Amino acid sequence: MLSWWCRRSPTRPLTRFQIRTLVTEQPRSVFNKQGWEAVIGIEVHAQIDSKTKLFSDMETSYEEPPNSKVSMVDLAFPGVQPRLNEECVELAVKTALALKATVQKRSRFDRKHYFYPDLPQGYQITQQREPIARGGVITLTELDGVPEPFHVGLHQIQLEQDTGKSMHDMVVGSTLLDMNRAGTGLMEIVTQPDLRSSYEAGLLVKKLQNILQCIGSSQASMNEGSMRCDVNVSVHKQGEPFGTRCEIKNLNSIRFLSMAIDAEIERQIKLIEKGGQVTSETRGFDVAKKTTFKLRGKETAPDYRYMPEPDLPPLILSQDIIDSLAKELPELPDETRSRIIKLYKMSLDDAHSLLNEPGSLTFFEKVCQGRNSQAVLNWTINDLFGELSKREIPFMQSPVSIDQMGSLVDLVQDNKITGKIGKDILRIMIEEANGIMPQKIVEQKGWARMDDSDMLNTICNTLITKHADQVHKFQNGEVKVFKWFIGQIMRETKGMADPTQVNIALCNALGCKPEDIIDAETKASSSSSGKKRKGDGKKKKK
Amino acid sequence: MLTRSLLTRRSFILIHHDKYTKNISTWNQAIDNVQLHNPQVNAFVAVEERQVLENLGSQSMQRHEQGTTLSPLDGAPIGIKDNFCTETLPTTCGSKILEGFISPYDATVVQRLKQAGAIIMGKTNMDEFGMGAANIYSHYGTVINPHDQEKENGNKRHVAGGSSGGSAAAVASGMCIAALGSDTGGSVRLPASYCGVVGYKPSYGRCSRYGLVTYANSLDTVGILAQDVNSARLVYDTISAYDSKDPTSMPNNLRTRIDDQDQKFVSRWHNKDDLTGLVIGIPQEYYVDPLSETVIDFWRQGIRFFKERGATIVPVSLPMTRFALPAYFTIALAEASSNLARYDGVRYGRRSQANREEDDEFLYADTRAEGFGSEVKRRIMLGTHILTAGTYDKNFLPAQKARRLVQEDFDKVFIQPNLLHHDEKMTDITENKGVHLLLTPSAMSPAPTIEECLPESDDSNDKRKEHHGAVDTYVNDVMTVPASLAGIPAISVPFEKSNGFPIGLQLLGQYGYDQFLLEIADIFSLAKLK
Repeated sequence: MLSWWCRRSPTRPLTRFQIRTLVTEQPRSVFNKQGWEAVIGIEVHAQIDSKTKLFSDMETSYEEPPNSKVSMVDLAFPGVQPRLNEECVELAVKTALALKATVQKRSRFDRKHYFYPDLPQGYQITQQREPIARGGVITLTELDGVPEPFHVGLHQIQLEQDTGKSMHDMVVGSTLLDMNRAGTGLMEIVTQPDLRSSYEAGLLVKKLQNILQCIGSSQASMNEGSMRCDVNVSVHKQGEPFGTRCEIKNLNSIRFLSMAIDAEIERQIKLIEKGGQVTSETRGFDVAKKTTFKLRGKETAPDYRYMPEPDLPPLILSQDIIDSLAKELPELPDETRSRIIKLYKMSLDDAHSLLNEPGSLTFFEKVCQGRNSQAVLNWTINDLFGELSKREIPFMQSPVSIDQMGSLVDLVQDNKITGKIGKDILRIMIEEANGIMPQKIVEQKGWARMDDSDMLNTICNTLITKHADQVHKFQNGEVKVFKWFIGQIMRETKGMADPTQVNIALCNALGCKPEDIIDAETKASSSSSGKKRKGDGKKKKK
Repeated sequence: MLTRSLLTRRSFILIHHDKYTKNISTWNQAIDNVQLHNPQVNAFVAVEERQVLENLGSQSMQRHEQGTTLSPLDGAPIGIKDNFCTETLPTTCGSKILEGFISPYDATVVQRLKQAGAIIMGKTNMDEFGMGAANIYSHYGTVINPHDQEKENGNKRHVAGGSSGGSAAAVASGMCIAALGSDTGGSVRLPASYCGVVGYKPSYGRCSRYGLVTYANSLDTVGILAQDVNSARLVYDTISAYDSKDPTSMPNNLRTRIDDQDQKFVSRWHNKDDLTGLVIGIPQEYYVDPLSETVIDFWRQGIRFFKERGATIVPVSLPMTRFALPAYFTIALAEASSNLARYDGVRYGRRSQANREEDDEFLYADTRAEGFGSEVKRRIMLGTHILTAGTYDKNFLPAQKARRLVQEDFDKVFIQPNLLHHDEKMTDITENKGVHLLLTPSAMSPAPTIEECLPESDDSNDKRKEHHGAVDTYVNDVMTVPASLAGIPAISVPFEKSNGFPIGLQLLGQYGYDQFLLEIADIFSLAKLK
């Protein structure tokens, strides 16, 4: 299908290992031992991954030279008018559908007023009163890492404009402005206060990121600023109503979000236990001190003087449009996860590895076509991910094509090369990054596995004649001598002989059965720990 | 499109017939008139260089000789109100805050005029950002009514009306054949009435607002001031088109549907002396106390004109008119306070030079305090208050409701259905019982003097006996505001003079029936000529 996992390549290395730790089980405690419960809601601003801005024809950008992507509309020149970008609407509708929100057939735009140099119009066009979607839910399940599944309700999803960027500290005494971001579309997604811990909040944001990336409505990268979060935190004692909440603004990573929530919960509990009262206020998070600090109180809360945007007629969406957008929706991460676990009989960890590495699932599924999925999975997750991770290459920038990978798996599966040689070839393909097919590398290097049982027989017979004493030892029950012989054969063949064939040839020469050897070996040493992962699938089964 | 043959005929008249070009026949004369009258009248705040105008003029003449004219407007001298963006001359909106500001683009309507070969004479004076009814609130000085014979300058002189006072005065004194104005609550019709020219406000959405600097988006309409109805129609035919850059522009499918209906009415009255079957409504709510005797008298004469030609006169009631003025000022000022937030001196326009050490926020305060005039500040403050939490629900929402009621009033009296609220799939459009057009005065009185318009709060050494609150002057708009709220087309046609100062009467039509309104206005304008 579509390459829907990721649309643009993020420039971050593989995150597989971070994700794994995040998903490890942790008990969900609602009230702590002292009887406190935290109540948390999140407000997410996700930049819409559209070609052009929400109300102007100017293309959206990231890290372009300052003020190179601005139009007269973005700068609010006199006499210009906003024009709604259909692509942004479509992506927002898809997002709403993916989050099971109710798309509103009629929505409107409002102006939210405040003065700031990076807000050119003196107001932000948003959807305060009649948003594009209401309701919706994100479900966290055992598979996500919570002990019991629960729903996090969504309040609403609204379309709005991003601001420019102010830089206060680059030139002393001046504020520099970069308006490239001004006017880029944002989706504001507000959850209900359904979360109870920083851990849950982190899982929720991660899950939302996955959904947005999956449907391609946002790159949803907190590092790059295409996703930004504010959280609302309150605490209360068992049997008491929810406490007064504080909003913590501008949290730009899941880690900081979790840290800020924990710090705020601690602050509020301490405050109340000292007999104080939490007052409704907006706070920031000091990463170094790991504490939150007051930004502004309620008494100085701005009056945004919302009014309907008079230039934009109501946005009317017909059921037909909504239905056709619903049809375009790709399979969502939860569905994909259940499907691949079932279809490829893979573990939850493996499924998460693929799901959390943008681009890798499509790659995997394509390589799988007509191949042993278990082998493909091993090669993808263990070998390819590992090699890329070592070199800090994000999967989306992996130089290994589906054809290259498929043919590599085929060579190994067809016994044309050994697993060890396969790994060498993979490394070459990544390092050379020139699309060279594995077959060619095998030919150039002369790495084709010896598939000549006659020759193996000859080698075995020669060895037996040469080392009659060793044969004698073997016949007296010293099984490890068998291994010694294998080593000799491998040396002769420079490691290119198929281990199974070598076994058979040697057994023939020594006059025993391969089963005997395995039995004897298991008896001798039952503690061959080695790599737990399924090294060679065939061997394990037999 | 539908009036192509008509257009060609009119073009002939415009260029070759003296009757339609009484004051000026060529761009050359227009230039002379600017030089002659502008120092007195103060209609233009910026005039295009003579060399440029002469080049454009001779190019146009060449086209006329070769028979390759671009349109009936080829070579016609046109004035542009200073709140339309133009690439060449500054666009100041009559404000200090945009002093010297040159827009990087042409407004769509300006572009269309240029493409039609019209000669843009310059930018006309206006009340700052369109806020005012007398054109006394311009950073570039008051516009003097061209009919004023006073020799001495001073507050006894008569105003041209506002906010498109410069455009009206420029047309009245022969500096151009027509001029673009903007009409938010009567800003084209009122000065047209005071200056004795035609002032036409097309239906909302007919002409692109892209490049018209916003005062109140939901009310702003591109307007036309012209020497006669035909010139106004030529300009209208040139600038009226769908524009994708204006999200409030009437879409093409609706345009076609309304135009089809419109044409049926246009072709119904061929004989200008026989208006049998035409029903003219006289709304009783427009008969208000402050209306001057002269105006009432002329209104009666206007009614008689139609009666004599066989039209039926019907008194009608628009009961919601009493809400129009408060609704208008609530909505317009709220939108204005928002629209004017962008003038902060950060990206363009004038920035305060005051060098305060304390805080960044004073950059905004100083820039806006220095840049905006008294009336603009007053309206921003009022508008800001209206949008404040609490007040919004108490004032703004009821005002929007009232606006809808005013609009529904009109739908109830017009024969033509309002196609804006008509289902597209309904093919048979049935006519209601009612009137084809409404006839009302355009203004309460002939042009007042400057001192009659100055509010006391703006003049600390006020020695006048009569005192006006600033808001009292808003009452002037009562004749024109309902049409703005409803978005319907309205035209002020010069009717008579009283003590040397003209008075116009206003015709209102159903939404979208612009050609029909112009057609009847054209016939009505004969009343003046008789």
